[in-house]
Amino acid sequence: MEVDEVQLKRASRASLVSLSNLTVLPVIGFIILLLLYKKTAPDTIDRYYAVIGIKINLLAAVALLLVSGLMVVMGGFESHMSWIYMLSYFVTAHALFILVATWALVRSWSGKKLR
Amino acid sequence: MRETFTKGMARNIYYGGGVFFFLVLIGLTVDTVKSLPKTDNSENMTEQVAAGKRLWEVNNCIGCHTLLGEGAYFAPELGNVYTRFGESTEAIKGFIKSRPVEGIPGRRSMPQFNLSDEELEELAQFLKYVDGVKTARDWPPNVQG
Amino acid sequence: MKYESQGVAKLYFIAAIGLFVGQILFGAIMGLQYVMGDFLFPEIPFNVARMVHTNLLIVWLLFGFMGSAYFLIPEESERELYSPLLAKIMFWIFLVAGALTILGYLLVPYAQLADLTMNDLLPTMGREFLEQPTITKIGIVIVALAFLFNIGMTILTGRKTVITLVLLTGLVGLAVFFLFSFYNPDNIVLDKYFWWFVVHLWVEGVWELIMASLLAYVLIKVTGVDREVIEKWLYIIIAMALISGLIGTGHHFYWIGTPDYWQWLGSVFSALEPIPFFMMTLFAFNVVNKRRRDHPNKAAVLWALGTAVMAFLGAGVWGFLHTLAPVNYYTHGTQVTAAHGHMAFYGAYVMVVLTMISYAMPIMRGQKAANETAQKLEIHSFWLMTISMVFITLFLTVAGFVQTYLQRYSDEPQSFMVVQEQLATWYWLREAAGVVFLLGLFLYIYSFFAKGKEVEFVEE
Repeated sequence: MEVDEVQLKRASRASLVSLSNLTVLPVIGFIILLLLYKKTAPDTIDRYYAVIGIKINLLAAVALLLVSGLMVVMGGFESHMSWIYMLSYFVTAHALFILVATWALVRSWSGKKLR
Repeated sequence: MRETFTKGMARNIYYGGGVFFFLVLIGLTVDTVKSLPKTDNSENMTEQVAAGKRLWEVNNCIGCHTLLGEGAYFAPELGNVYTRFGESTEAIKGFIKSRPVEGIPGRRSMPQFNLSDEELEELAQFLKYVDGVKTARDWPPNVQG
Repeated sequence: MKYESQGVAKLYFIAAIGLFVGQILFGAIMGLQYVMGDFLFPEIPFNVARMVHTNLLIVWLLFGFMGSAYFLIPEESERELYSPLLAKIMFWIFLVAGALTILGYLLVPYAQLADLTMNDLLPTMGREFLEQPTITKIGIVIVALAFLFNIGMTILTGRKTVITLVLLTGLVGLAVFFLFSFYNPDNIVLDKYFWWFVVHLWVEGVWELIMASLLAYVLIKVTGVDREVIEKWLYIIIAMALISGLIGTGHHFYWIGTPDYWQWLGSVFSALEPIPFFMMTLFAFNVVNKRRRDHPNKAAVLWALGTAVMAFLGAGVWGFLHTLAPVNYYTHGTQVTAAHGHMAFYGAYVMVVLTMISYAMPIMRGQKAANETAQKLEIHSFWLMTISMVFITLFLTVAGFVQTYLQRYSDEPQSFMVVQEQLATWYWLREAAGVVFLLGLFLYIYSFFAKGKEVEFVEE
C-alpha cells in the first residue's frame, strides 16, 4: 500500500483521537473520528486506522458500558457486590482497551498495519 | 514526536519543570509547617505523649495497624481508637494489657508486649493525642476507622 | 562485555535475586496469616514478617539499581569503573549489614533490637519502611555515598550521556531524600509529612528517573533505535514525572492534619501522575516497533515491554483509581492501597531491575543472549509472575472495595475485624496467586542454569 504524508498524518490523528475517546474526550473523540473517516478514501492507511479506531471504540462501548450496565442490572441495583464486581471489571477492561489503542497509535505512526 | 520538538526543548522542560515544581513544593512545605499549629494538636503535646510515640515506634505497632490510614492493613485503624473505645484511656490500656501470650487460636492476635503501667499510660496518651489531630473532613469517615 | 569492571554487577544481581526469594517467601507467610491468624504466632508475628517483606524489597531493589549502574555506566562512559575494588567492598558491607538487620528482625523482639542498637540516641526506628536500626540507616548512607562517588567519578571523567546523567540525578536524589529518615519529630503530623519526603519522593519521584534511564538504556541496546530519539523521550518522560509527582506528594496529605489546599493540589497533580507511565508505554511500544534489528535476547525485550505496561497499570491506573481526594476519603488505608502497592512496585521497579538483569547477565557470562531453552523458561517465568501479580492485584482490589463499602460507606459500618472475616475468600485467592508467583520465581532462577542450543546471531 502506497502511503503519502497526508495519509500518514491522518492515520496517526485517527489513532490519537480513538485513544482520546477512550480517555480524556469520550463521545467528542468519537464524533471527530467519524468526521475523519469521511475524509478518507478506501484502501488507504488512514481509512484503515479510522476503521480500527471506530471498531475499538464500538467494542469498548459494548464491553464497558453495556456489559457493566448489565452487571449492575442483573446483579441488582441495590446489591453492593454487583457494583464492586462492575467497578473492578470496568477498571481492568478499560485499561486493556487503552493499551490496545496505544499499540494501534504506535503502529499508525510507522504507517504499517497492525499485523 | 515530530522534528519541530527538539531534544533541547525536552531537556529544558525537564530542568525547568523539575526545578520550578521543586521550589513550589518547598514553598508549600513552609506554608504547611507554619499553619500546622492550628490542626496538629501540639497544645496537648507532653513528655508523656512523646514517650508514648517512642513506645509506639519501638514496638513496631505500624507493622500491623494503620495510624491515620498509614501503615499495615492487618489490624484496626488507631488514629481514632480513643474515640472508638469511648474516650477512655483505661479501655485502651486494658486491651493492650490483656493480650494472651500465645495468641488466640485460629485468629489474628496482637502480641503481649509486657509494658509497665507507666508505659501503658504513655502509649494511651499518645493515641489520645493522635485522636485530637484535626484531620480534613474529620477523617476517618466513621468510628470504625 | 566491553569493560571488565562491568562484571562487578554480577555480584549485585545475584544478591538481588537471592533477597527477592526471601521477600516472596515472607510475602507468602503474611498472605497465610491474613486467613490463618495464628500461623507462626508468636514466633513470627505479622509485623515482623511484613518488615522483612518490605525491607527485603527495598534492599534488593537497591542492589538491583546499584548493579545496573555498575553495568551500564562504564559502557556509557566508555571507560573502566573508577574503582571496582570499592564497588566490591561496598557490596559486602551492604550485604552483611542488610543480612544482620533482617536477622535482627527475626531473632530478637523489635523493642530489644531498638535497645541493642541504641535507638534512644537518635530515634528513627518503627516507622513504616524505615524500620531499620539507626546504625543500619547510617550504613546505608555510607554505602550510598561511596557508590555515588564511584559512579560519579566514572561518569564525570568519561563520556557523558543523557542516560548516565539522568541516572546519576536519580541516584543522588535517592541518597539525598533518604536523609529525611533521620528526622523524626514527636509531632505526629510533622513526622508523617516529612516521612513522605523519603517514601513518595523516592517511588513517585527520583526512582522514576532511575527506572526511565535503565529502560532507555536497554531499549537502545536491544532495538538499535537512534540514541537522539530515545533521549528525547527520556527527557519528556522524566519531565512529566517531576511536574506531576512533586506536587503530587499532596495526595498523601489529605488526612494527616495538613491544610485543606492539599486536597485540591494533591488531586489535580496526582491525577497527572499516570501520564509519565503512559508515555513510558508509548515510548517502549514505539521504539520496539521501530527497531532496527531483532536482538537475540528476546526475553530482555519482553521484560522491557512488560515493565512499561505493568508500570502503567500498577502505578498509573491503579494509582489514579484512588488518588482523588473524594475517593481516597473512603479507600485510604484499605486493601485498595495494598493492591496498588503490589502492582506498582512489581511493574515499575521489580520488572525494570529484572529487565536489566535479563539483558546484562548473559553478557557477563560471556554470551550475547541466554540459550534458547533458558530464554524460553525465562519467558515462561515472566508470564507466571506477571499474570499472578495481576491476579493478586485484582483479588486485593475486590477485597478493598468490599472493605471500603462495609467498613466506611454502608449505612451501618461494621468493625474492622468483622469485615476482615468476610474477605477471607479473596485473601485465599490472593494467597493462591502468590504461590504461583513463587513458583514463577523458582522457574526464573532455574532458567539461569538451563542448558540448550545457543542462539544464532549475526554481527552487525
